[in-house]
Amino acid sequence: MPEAFSASGQPAPAGEPPFEDLAVGLFRAQFAANPAYQAICRVRGIVPEQLTDWREIPAVPTRAFKEFELTALPPEERRWVYHSSGTTGQTPSRHFHNVESRALYEASLIPWFQRHVLGDGLARRFFALTPPPAQVPHSSLAHMLAVGLQEFSGPTPGAFYGCVNALGTWELELERLFAALAEAEAASTPVLLLGTAFNFVHWLDELAATGRRLVLPPNSRLMETGGYKGRSRALPRAELHAELALRLGLPADQIITEYGMSELSSQAYAAVTAERPTPIFVFPPWARALVVSPETGREVAVGAPGHLRVFDLANVWSVLAVQTEDLAIRRDSGFELLGRLPAAEPRGCSLMTT
Amino acid sequence: MTPALNLPQLFLADLPPEAVLTPTLVRDACIAVKRNRATWLLHRRTQELIELLAYAAERWQQPEFAFRRLALQVGAAETGYGAATLARGLDSFFRLLTVDHLQALIVQDLGEVRRLDEFSAPAGELRHGRLALAQGPELLVHLAAGNLPNSTLMSLVLGLLTKSAQFVKLASRATVIPRLFAHSLTELEPKLGGCLEFAVWPGGQTELEAAVFGETTCVTVQGSDETIASVRARVPAPVRLVAHGNRLSFGFISGDMLSSYSVRKVAERAAADVTAWNQLGCLSPHVFYVEDRGAVSAEGFAELLAAALAEREAVEPRGEVSVAESARIADRRYLHELRSARHLLARGEAVTVPRGVFFEPPSAGTRLWASENSTAWTVVYEEDARFQASCLNRFVYVKPVRDLAEALRLADPIRDAVSTVGVAALESRLPELARQLAAWGVPRVCPVGRMQEPPLTWRHDGRPALSELVTWTDLEL
Repeated sequence: MPEAFSASGQPAPAGEPPFEDLAVGLFRAQFAANPAYQAICRVRGIVPEQLTDWREIPAVPTRAFKEFELTALPPEERRWVYHSSGTTGQTPSRHFHNVESRALYEASLIPWFQRHVLGDGLARRFFALTPPPAQVPHSSLAHMLAVGLQEFSGPTPGAFYGCVNALGTWELELERLFAALAEAEAASTPVLLLGTAFNFVHWLDELAATGRRLVLPPNSRLMETGGYKGRSRALPRAELHAELALRLGLPADQIITEYGMSELSSQAYAAVTAERPTPIFVFPPWARALVVSPETGREVAVGAPGHLRVFDLANVWSVLAVQTEDLAIRRDSGFELLGRLPAAEPRGCSLMTT
Repeated sequence: MTPALNLPQLFLADLPPEAVLTPTLVRDACIAVKRNRATWLLHRRTQELIELLAYAAERWQQPEFAFRRLALQVGAAETGYGAATLARGLDSFFRLLTVDHLQALIVQDLGEVRRLDEFSAPAGELRHGRLALAQGPELLVHLAAGNLPNSTLMSLVLGLLTKSAQFVKLASRATVIPRLFAHSLTELEPKLGGCLEFAVWPGGQTELEAAVFGETTCVTVQGSDETIASVRARVPAPVRLVAHGNRLSFGFISGDMLSSYSVRKVAERAAADVTAWNQLGCLSPHVFYVEDRGAVSAEGFAELLAAALAEREAVEPRGEVSVAESARIADRRYLHELRSARHLLARGEAVTVPRGVFFEPPSAGTRLWASENSTAWTVVYEEDARFQASCLNRFVYVKPVRDLAEALRLADPIRDAVSTVGVAALESRLPELARQLAAWGVPRVCPVGRMQEPPLTWRHDGRPALSELVTWTDLEL
């Protein structure tokens, strides 16, 4: 069997080159076309001629997207730019797109969104809890949700229920949201809620404060994507899911978690099932996650923890190999997320002044 | 998890992990050690206690001593230090625990070696017709830090000298070595064991701490600012709190030590400071500032330091660290690779460098040396000489400066948090450098190579050790 797409348990489609060849070929092209990336590779002493395995393709830390313009697109072609949702005041990561690269990004997101977020394919009314792309043109998530809405909304068109407030932070338009949900409930239309973990935490806090409890129509689903970044109280994922189940009446297996970032063009999804209480994230066949040992930079054994590194073939005009700041456990079928690398030293005398 | 030690169950911390501590149990333990202290410890002569400690320390330095062997096996497993690192650290402490040094400590802090036994005075005071007796608290409570065991051992020694009963709340990842030390003392003098208590409980169990605080007049605490603030808020008002917060240290290498004759030696000493306790102590250097006017450049010094760290690693490996600590080092290395890449781009060069330890051609703004296939050690040379806190576990910065004044200016953001500055300089320059450092506020200046080996008499954070604990009775004749 060609090893191509084995990371997600799928063979390479017939007649297509395997993942390895595509990755190495893309690396060569990016090395030649992207001076910043080339400099990073050279600092590590890796040039394409020396590469013996796709796993050796130098991965750029996400931070590099802040410090460099990691793109092969000439400035006049950079029609869109997606930023990481970093802390205010810091330079965000920047991922540039032109028409072609954004079309590829969409082509990458659609089938995996369809398979994991929609699942059974039942028609649902979509509720995106982020602000609409027009308000947040640099949010890749808002764009991703817009694409999802456009492609897959049921008979009642989906809508965005978030907005950017006067302070520049994201907020929920709660009354509009409650009204629309009541409408869906009255019509017994199953809903699909899409938002960030902090969107949901805000919402749960609001529900708790007002003592409101919602029961979503049967077959409703929810997709949340990680990251709080200080914008709400941080809630461990299991607790968030338990509260969502309690306050919204959603069974745990109808909650899907997305792992994505502005630096990537593909997303991983995970769902909790009765047999698998810990979510295992899986990327589409054209992206692979490696859990590497921070000691050696090599992939760890199944079941072992390490640093998460993603190779995304849909990142054609930027850099395909991205070193995240997340820790994960390698699993047979994908990875289990442990969370962001903690900045503070739990022992010793270090005062982390940096 | 507490490793199996098969020790006699002398202390609460020796009980099996399923044993549940209650405020009553803890309070009763405090009362018991106070009672035992009154019947035995209070009436020992200081000299007797000094000799006991010195003999115990001698035994701890013998390779076949059973408690030492246990410490190097079980203690190493618990703390994560490699056995060689742990052995070096423990030896550096026990070597100092001699009759001579202990007497010197009492004389330095209290003026006279018999001060804790009877009304006495040094000659100067006697002339003015005055004697004094120093007494330790009835019960001394220590809230121990978890990073390295020596500070807890030293706390125990101080408490013993002041003839106080002691209750030590151990850090959950540093329970073994202080207990082994106490067991070794008990083996020599069984009654002493009855004056000591050790317990461990997870953070936040404030009702247990309240029970202990209610029985004492003096608490020592080491830890983060938050830990100290939280303890300060909970200790009853009349109780004295001796707090030592987290500190940072750095080194300064003067240009005259950068001759081809002495530079290698200095680099080896600097490596000893970085590897001691895997750099996790307050006295461990984060940065070496190097006066860039020697025969060997600051960058050349960094290269020699890297070589010295590689040699150390061969005989005294750092040992495993958690995946998060390891990832933090990897992440920090990435950061400096990016800075190197920035310099490459700025110069418009595209130099191919061989794969390996050397990541960067010379004379860029930053350069990194690192252990291959591990995060065991890392040296980062950076022309940007602003102070930068290391991610520790043998990760050190070398930064060039014109002189000490410039180094101090660049380290100004951490001025209030500095513990030690290790200095390598010709003897003739040392007085002037020390004056500058003192004026800036550094509590301890020592030779590079001995940063993690303070003498027994050192004044922790610039404060005297014994006199913080005792209460005086003056007798005017």
